[in-house]
Amino acid sequence: MAISVRCLFRRSLLIGGLLVVGACGGGGGSADRQPAPVPPAPAPAPTTAELNASSLLAAQATFGMPYEGIEAMARTGNEPWLDAQFAMPVTRHTPIVNDLVTRRSAGEFSNFEQDIEFLIFFRRFGWWHNTITADDVLRQRVAFALSEIMVVSDNVDALIINPYALTNYYDMLLRNSFGNFRDLLTDVTLHPAMGIYLSHVNNRKSDAVNNTFPDENFAREVMQLFSIGLFELNIDGSLQTDGNGQPIPTYSNTEIREFAKMFTGLSYGGPGSSFGNQNPVFQAPMVMFDAFHEPGEKRLLNGLVVPAGQTGDQDIEAAIDNLFNHPNVGPFIGKQLIQRLVTSNPSPEYVERVARVFNGDVSGVRGDLQAVIRAVLLDVEASNPPTPANGGKLREPIVRYAAMIRQFNATSTDGFFFNTGYYVQNVLRQHPLSSPSVFNFFLPAHSPSGELSDASLVAPEFQITTSTTIANMTNVVDFAVNGGFVMDAPDPPFGTVTLDMSDYVAVAGDVDALLDRLNIVVLHGGLSDATRAAIRGVLVDIADLQFRAQTAIYLLLVSPDYAVQT
Amino acid sequence: MINRRRFLGHSCKLGVASATLSSSVLQLGLAREAAAATQQGYRALVCILLAGGNDSYNMVVPNDVDQYAEYAGIRSDLALEQATLLPLAGTTPAGRNYALHPGMAEVQQLYADGELGIMANVGTLLEAVDAQAVESGSARLPLGLHSHSDQIAQWQTAVSDDRIAQGWGGRLADLYDGVNVANGISMNISLGGTNLFQSGNSTVEYAISAEDDGATSINAYDDGSEFGDFRKRMIDELLAVPQSNLLRREYAGRLRGSIDAQAVFVDALQASVTPSALFSPGPFSQSLRQVARVIAARDALGACRQTFFVQVGGWDHHDEVLDNQAGMLPAISLGLKEFRDALIEIGVYSDVTTFTTSDFGRTLTSNGKGSDHGWGGHHLVMGGSVTGGQIVGDYPLLSMNSPLDVGRGIYIPTTSVDEYFAELALWFGVSAGDLDSVLPNVRSFYSPESGTPPLGFLA
Repeated sequence: MAISVRCLFRRSLLIGGLLVVGACGGGGGSADRQPAPVPPAPAPAPTTAELNASSLLAAQATFGMPYEGIEAMARTGNEPWLDAQFAMPVTRHTPIVNDLVTRRSAGEFSNFEQDIEFLIFFRRFGWWHNTITADDVLRQRVAFALSEIMVVSDNVDALIINPYALTNYYDMLLRNSFGNFRDLLTDVTLHPAMGIYLSHVNNRKSDAVNNTFPDENFAREVMQLFSIGLFELNIDGSLQTDGNGQPIPTYSNTEIREFAKMFTGLSYGGPGSSFGNQNPVFQAPMVMFDAFHEPGEKRLLNGLVVPAGQTGDQDIEAAIDNLFNHPNVGPFIGKQLIQRLVTSNPSPEYVERVARVFNGDVSGVRGDLQAVIRAVLLDVEASNPPTPANGGKLREPIVRYAAMIRQFNATSTDGFFFNTGYYVQNVLRQHPLSSPSVFNFFLPAHSPSGELSDASLVAPEFQITTSTTIANMTNVVDFAVNGGFVMDAPDPPFGTVTLDMSDYVAVAGDVDALLDRLNIVVLHGGLSDATRAAIRGVLVDIADLQFRAQTAIYLLLVSPDYAVQT
Repeated sequence: MINRRRFLGHSCKLGVASATLSSSVLQLGLAREAAAATQQGYRALVCILLAGGNDSYNMVVPNDVDQYAEYAGIRSDLALEQATLLPLAGTTPAGRNYALHPGMAEVQQLYADGELGIMANVGTLLEAVDAQAVESGSARLPLGLHSHSDQIAQWQTAVSDDRIAQGWGGRLADLYDGVNVANGISMNISLGGTNLFQSGNSTVEYAISAEDDGATSINAYDDGSEFGDFRKRMIDELLAVPQSNLLRREYAGRLRGSIDAQAVFVDALQASVTPSALFSPGPFSQSLRQVARVIAARDALGACRQTFFVQVGGWDHHDEVLDNQAGMLPAISLGLKEFRDALIEIGVYSDVTTFTTSDFGRTLTSNGKGSDHGWGGHHLVMGGSVTGGQIVGDYPLLSMNSPLDVGRGIYIPTTSVDEYFAELALWFGVSAGDLDSVLPNVRSFYSPESGTPPLGFLA
């Protein structure tokens, strides 16, 4: 008797990634005689197609999953898995940093801090540990995507030396990942790390005597990068054009100067705060000091006139509203979320479907990020690209590297997955919250010259895929899989992380079984006959099963087939 | 065993070079031009991008009493103290004196020795404009003026009325296709990763690092051991699989290209003499050290024409202009001097021209210790062929009422990037007839048929 699928969903619980299936209620029967309760048949193992579908969602929605996690997701079902993820509490990064700061204050690292203060590592340690171990895997992945749009970076000293600066910023992104975009935009605007990064902390109103003017940095980038972009967009992400076929700028330098006025008067919060305070406080939002806020009327976008005489806080609200309600936001932000998670070249229809969800066309709520993420991941195009030859995205180096660690059940000798990340940052040119500028590591519109630009395709991640970084990525995999070097935290005092490939060694005696398992986990079923044959031909020449398993993993992880997620 | 490629002692003299012209050049219909282009042996352009918009009004400062007073008044808390400035030798044709930021003593000396010139107030323009037309909105202006992404692109593409993916260095390489030995190493070599400047229709940059031999190998690949052979086999067979997905095909091509180029490149560098000139440890100096090494290996690489791209980030000084530049400009000055010494040692100083670029200059007015996005900026050009010791173009008279001011002390450029790059391209060997294929907008400012140089800073 087939188990009712609905029954299975209602009675299963997802706890910490492990599926606990409760028995469904007893089977029905005639009113005359109650038959003896029939124990439910065990839930059928997911089919390979179901495993592949879950593996694909894992690639799009997480930093990677091992076989067990994919299987658990497939048993639950992709949509219930998403529901559970949306409901899961946030795993913040601050507690990791707190713990490390406490340990350091207690002298635990003093014997090892000869050349460098470990304090500056702690933000990075927190990120890596959570990215590898946290259960709210979807939220962690979405926050990372948001960090590539609402960019702050540690290439500013003030944001490196205090580990709470960027940790608090990232926790703010985590908190807002499934909330409302308006709250995200507000919290980004008022975050002290952003105030430092785009220099609107302690930004003063105009001063005619000293011939100084409001700093325009944040005002420009909040429009260009964080909300509406450079040009008026149609709802499907395409550019609107004027009578001459030219794109229509969303703002000019004039609007930037007006917005710059809105973002004056802010300084660090916390007890005893005052304008002009040069000592950053990262655990509280910036606060407004009206005496330093630009007075007078301001003219924003779409004809909005912000009247004189308001408080600075009221002005900020008006500025945020003006941006949030601009019709560009849905396609501008929606398309980038698709690019970060699913594919570099969504069809206009896909973008429009996601933008309409952002706009609240059905729900009536504008800016619901949870609904947007769901729309991005569950869209028909996410699992069925219309033109497979043009589809997919080049996996970004950090996600690819983290996925390797998660997919292969990495273990740590001290239970922590601490990485300074300096090694991968240097050789792969990417590290969370470490981009070279507010323009992230690569531009959404980057189109590699040659076949891709001829086909009018963009592929942002290729912008950091050079002769050097592509060889380095291949070697990073080699070092981890074949060399046992995974993370670069100093050891001692921190533990060593290694991959656990034992499940693959266990099946390596049967080359096809090995490849089948890897095909599910790594390629979500996409292993082509030709690639399979090429790898298989090498594997059968390896007698040692450990080496054979490692070689299979190495080759798949460095392959073009894996590099590009479709 | 790595096959040691025997290098042909490639020479760039006429006759030998034309023998290396490939049929692809003939197919491009550029045989006549290319033959002319190979007349001058080796030439290289070294493009330095100061990314973010260098506040160059604090790099080159008016030093006359009246103009310094204007500078200090307008710049408010951004103004450098006059007593700390390094005076530039000589005066301009208008009789004006200028000085450098205190941290640029090496540049001061290079200028005095006639090896370095200063390009004044260079910026992106579609056509000459005046402040009224700009403010009224009637002027045709570059796209995204004052925006990093557009301006940094336009300084690389030299096209300001469209967003294109090819730079003028890439178009140079397209034009010179076949002049260098075809060994898989691009004419355009980057220490700054992927960049627009060096992207052409049939050219992409070859990106190397400042470390070691610049090109990274795949671990163990073809290293002479038995395992190395096995590693080579497995990677080769993997990359030989045809890919139907375009992104995968691009990836496979890049990885294959990286592996193949690395072998050639490292062999060439190791077969050549490394300059002994010393470079300081900072990233800018180390990048130029690597450029010098590659130039020293030009014969082994079979290169007659090269461009190099070095990027220095962090110039977007909306805050703390003074403190930031105090740390950063000295590194630029020192690096240029060290590079110059290495080029002299190699014997190519007259064949290599080094020039700076940046998204824009910045507002003369302050936002409170910082400046915002501007337009025209001042730049440096250095080399044995440079007619140095002069300020080229028009350093504007600073004034609260300047007719060039379009607001916040942003001055309309008095030299377009097209003119700046045209002089570099012509020196590189581009013929007058080919100039607008490299710089599509050059005719708005310069007529290639005029027979006179655009600006007059390169012999």
